[in-house]
Amino acid sequence: MRVDHQAEGIHLPDIDLWLDAREPVGANWISHAHSDHARGVHRCTYGTPPTLALYRMRVDVPEDARLCALAYGDSVLHGEAKLTAMPAAHIVGAAQLLVEWRGERLVYTGDIKLQRPLCGVETRPVPCDQLIIESTFGLPVYRFLSCEQARERMVAFARECLADGATPAFLGYPLGRGQEVVYALRQAGVPVQVHGAIARYLPVYEEQGWQMGGWEPYEAKAGKGRALVVVPGMRAYLEASGRNVRVAYVSGWAALSNARTRAGAEFLIPYSDHAGFDELLALVRATGAREVDVVHGYTEAFARILRAEGIAARGITHATRQAQD
Amino acid sequence: MDALATVCDAIAQTNSRLKKVRVAAEYLRGLEEADFLLAVRFLIASPIADTERQLSVGHAKLREAVMRVLPWDEETVRLCFREVGDAGEAIGLLLEGHTRGDALSLAEAALWFQRLHAARTANAKVDLLEKIFLTYKPRTLLYFIKVITGDLRIGFQARQVEEAIAAAVDVPHAMVREAANRSGDLARVAAAARRGELEQVGASLFHPMDFMLAKPLEQEGAIENPAQWVVEDKYDGIRCQLHVGNGRIAIYTRGLDEVSGSYPEIVAALRAVPHSLIVDGELLAWRDDRALNFTLLQQRLARKTVSAQLLDEVPVAFVAYDLLYANGTLWLDRAVEDRRAELQRVWGGLGMPLLLAPQEGLGDLDAQFEAARTRGNEGLILKRAGSVYEAGRRSGAWVKVKRALATLDVVVTAAEQGTGRRAVWLSDYTFAVRDGERYANVGKAYSGLTDDEVRELTRVFRGLTTERFGRVSLVQPSVVLEVAFDGIQKSPRHKSGFALRFPRIVRWRRDKAPEQADDIARVKELYEASLQ
Repeated sequence: MRVDHQAEGIHLPDIDLWLDAREPVGANWISHAHSDHARGVHRCTYGTPPTLALYRMRVDVPEDARLCALAYGDSVLHGEAKLTAMPAAHIVGAAQLLVEWRGERLVYTGDIKLQRPLCGVETRPVPCDQLIIESTFGLPVYRFLSCEQARERMVAFARECLADGATPAFLGYPLGRGQEVVYALRQAGVPVQVHGAIARYLPVYEEQGWQMGGWEPYEAKAGKGRALVVVPGMRAYLEASGRNVRVAYVSGWAALSNARTRAGAEFLIPYSDHAGFDELLALVRATGAREVDVVHGYTEAFARILRAEGIAARGITHATRQAQD
Repeated sequence: MDALATVCDAIAQTNSRLKKVRVAAEYLRGLEEADFLLAVRFLIASPIADTERQLSVGHAKLREAVMRVLPWDEETVRLCFREVGDAGEAIGLLLEGHTRGDALSLAEAALWFQRLHAARTANAKVDLLEKIFLTYKPRTLLYFIKVITGDLRIGFQARQVEEAIAAAVDVPHAMVREAANRSGDLARVAAAARRGELEQVGASLFHPMDFMLAKPLEQEGAIENPAQWVVEDKYDGIRCQLHVGNGRIAIYTRGLDEVSGSYPEIVAALRAVPHSLIVDGELLAWRDDRALNFTLLQQRLARKTVSAQLLDEVPVAFVAYDLLYANGTLWLDRAVEDRRAELQRVWGGLGMPLLLAPQEGLGDLDAQFEAARTRGNEGLILKRAGSVYEAGRRSGAWVKVKRALATLDVVVTAAEQGTGRRAVWLSDYTFAVRDGERYANVGKAYSGLTDDEVRELTRVFRGLTTERFGRVSLVQPSVVLEVAFDGIQKSPRHKSGFALRFPRIVRWRRDKAPEQADDIARVKELYEASLQ
């Protein structure tokens, strides 16, 4: 199956389907609802039900737009091709797409992790001939904690800070990490206040079965004896507020200690909603794909590592996209 | 070593100085004496006991060895080193899953450091490293390498190690600190602390100790009682400590590095000195009874061999101005007058290139300052009568009188994360002057701003960052600072060809745009003027 990498997104010309298009196109598959993947209004949009719900919350989608929901394991015919959604564990609703066309199998992972997430459905590698995969953490220095280890560290840090009379603040992005942190802390009974940008999506997680139970909205004044779950932009404000705030950074980037400066955090918890290096490699191997396009992050380096294993891998960079345009 | 690695991780994971010290102290308290001493040594990133010797294991050898163990190509490994920004951490992370994971004791680690030191050839060192990399736990190896590269980067400075030693053996921190200042050898101090012999720790030959420092006059305010002070010129050279005795001679810089090889004429002259001594003073380029511009002295820095031509072109002298030890007697704790008298006795009249700084009583400060400047020196040092030599301290018993050469409005082009308390901020700034349409760097400064200003600038620079290299962010030229400095020298390091000496930030010029900063022509003008 031909794959074109264009400025607007990834295009499969044989079946005229776009994958995570950045501009309005005809038919488009949205792997998950992060804004670099779910954007623009298209003639026809495929996605899992939670992804489409989030897409509607984040993008102004007209009533008459054609949205085609595809639950995990469900298939639909798109012209001659059969499309099947499979879990990707990245954030709520994230899915891989299996495309079957004239006996060929292609899988687009979107953003993916192989380890079990705190909130989410476990992923399995999907056997295929062609694979399009991300490599946000595609270097062998990125390895992450399991969700149990990450939960232990989050809870221990929060409890220690609270015992010291300090306010633990967890930095997380509005969709994905933030909700997972809230879930982990609430499961352990730690009282939390949640920033509005994160709280907004908690109901979507609850609908999918992860009950947050008893969180409070973030308030500038109150908050003593509570852990805060806030967006990264709040850090400077919290520090300037004169409160005794101690900042934890839950992220894949926290695998390197230079994240302390980059994020301005003192406590690092290397846990990600992306696959670490070993997971990425295991995932590629398990699919059995002989052709791999690496589309995000350390694309060249990760493709080179795959080529050394005898896999026909391309690192897709901005330059490749321009050359194909 | 495995336990030490866990302790280091815990120290890194908190900003609280108290907590860091407590974690280290608890660990140290539980160790047998031999392990206690090794742990202290490794915490100050000193792989072998003999501080004068080096392992000669640099990044190139480390990378070569780790490449032999890993299945990935060199380009990938280089990229990993660059992303991580620290060789030890990169190696520790890369080795995950590629080692046997054996336990490593502190004693074994010390033995490996010894072997690495003893290995003669580069190849032999790489062979040893390969073996080490294959054997132990990656997280332990991460710190093992950091000890070699000389900085653990866990926000734990020598002062805090002193505190941890003090807490571990239940003695006051001040006692440990004073002993460390006297001896310059924290490992020895740790041993003495453990045996309750801290008072007996003295200075010893060939263990350079910290230098006594002077406070700027501005911080001291006016000099109240002139009769209580003596005055010497403040020289613009390289502050050094000479150790002479037992047929050996060593010259140490403020960084406690030995630089004897760069100054053969000084070493040769010292061979004729019939005393064993530790002397504090200054290395200067010197001709016709006066110091030459620092720019000339620069040509003599960091040279392994010195040509006859260079010896002839840039002759150096050593001007002694304090005495710490002489012929078996410690002079540190004696009054400045007594130290001076003894210095005069053992050092006076040696002749070029071993000179003695003239000293006089304090009279008309302004006139004395001008006279010092006319002699080609930087300003004055005032020493309070009756004061002792306080190694490693800036107590106010010494006061320096300097006046800034000028100030410049400069533009920040790069911001680097600080260390210690400032580790979470971008607090070290590389700055530039205008050069046509571009900006040409002329120096780097990190002092002078309040914490609030640094915090605010950190936010500003995060928004202006164009590219990142580990701890350094290149930023769009936008922020203008006014910097004061004491001189200008030629510099191959900066594109402008010049570097400011002792730049410090006077204020953040929020009112100025980068187009209004000073330009390279102004820098050249000041440089030419300073040569006169």
